[in-house]
Amino acid sequence: MTLQQAAEPATQPISELLDAETVQSIADEVWPSLVGDGEAFVPVPVAPPAELVSAWVTISGPWNGAVVVTCAPATAAALTECVLMTRPPMVVDDEDVADALGELANVLGGNIKSVLPGPSALGLPQIGSAPTTGRLDDVRSLVGQWRGNYLTITVQGATPASHTERNEVPQQ
Amino acid sequence: MKILVTDDSRVMRQIVIRTLRQAGYDDHDIIQAEDGAECLAMVGSERPDLVLSDWNMPNMTGIECLEALRASGSQVPFGFVTSEGSPEMRDKAANAGALFLIAKPFTEDTFRDALDGVIA
Repeated sequence: MTLQQAAEPATQPISELLDAETVQSIADEVWPSLVGDGEAFVPVPVAPPAELVSAWVTISGPWNGAVVVTCAPATAAALTECVLMTRPPMVVDDEDVADALGELANVLGGNIKSVLPGPSALGLPQIGSAPTTGRLDDVRSLVGQWRGNYLTITVQGATPASHTERNEVPQQ
Repeated sequence: MKILVTDDSRVMRQIVIRTLRQAGYDDHDIIQAEDGAECLAMVGSERPDLVLSDWNMPNMTGIECLEALRASGSQVPFGFVTSEGSPEMRDKAANAGALFLIAKPFTEDTFRDALDGVIA
């Protein structure tokens, strides 16, 4: 679990605050609940696809950064079909995909926030190209797969100028 | 019984409604709001018997909605379904008058534990 106490100043990089096992254990709870029974994020890397889409939420507090989920657009659509339990002839649209991938990032982010030093605030889900990372050691990334498809969960520090730009909800 | 499910994510509203049904609460009227402001208005217009609300939402957060409801005199039973369940947030929710806080990810058992006794 986390290595830092809440009252300590927050200059440590995420690699010292959060280990891969904690992120995996959170994913192990989130996937069956959100994606479906028997579903899992498997931390075995596969080759990345040519096109990627990301959804993320920011964490603003002693540690500033984002929890980012990245996969191929087709994987995001398949995830959405699972989350919504859609069956043919129902199809998911772009809004559904953005919403579902955003919620996946949101639930992962909320749980990761809870094991980081606080108090901190979670931003609202965003989707697009992943935000740029800050310090090279301020990244905790799990590269893996869902149903054989490339998927990453990355907890990354903000660039020095970016962590104040979006803080949409009050500090708790 | 009329239950108002409030979340800015349509996907999450569907999951909450599905989980309510899986938990056995399948014979109730479910209505939906997209944020705290809409929830506040719908409590006035629709008179729900229970509100299940997300915390982080644009326009008006769930906790702001609950505080506004209580300030206006409404005592509608109110519970949170949110991606964060820190002790501080649970305290804040309870102090504002929430009956429970369900943290995501949840299961139908989590719903039953929180809602038994609240939903007749």
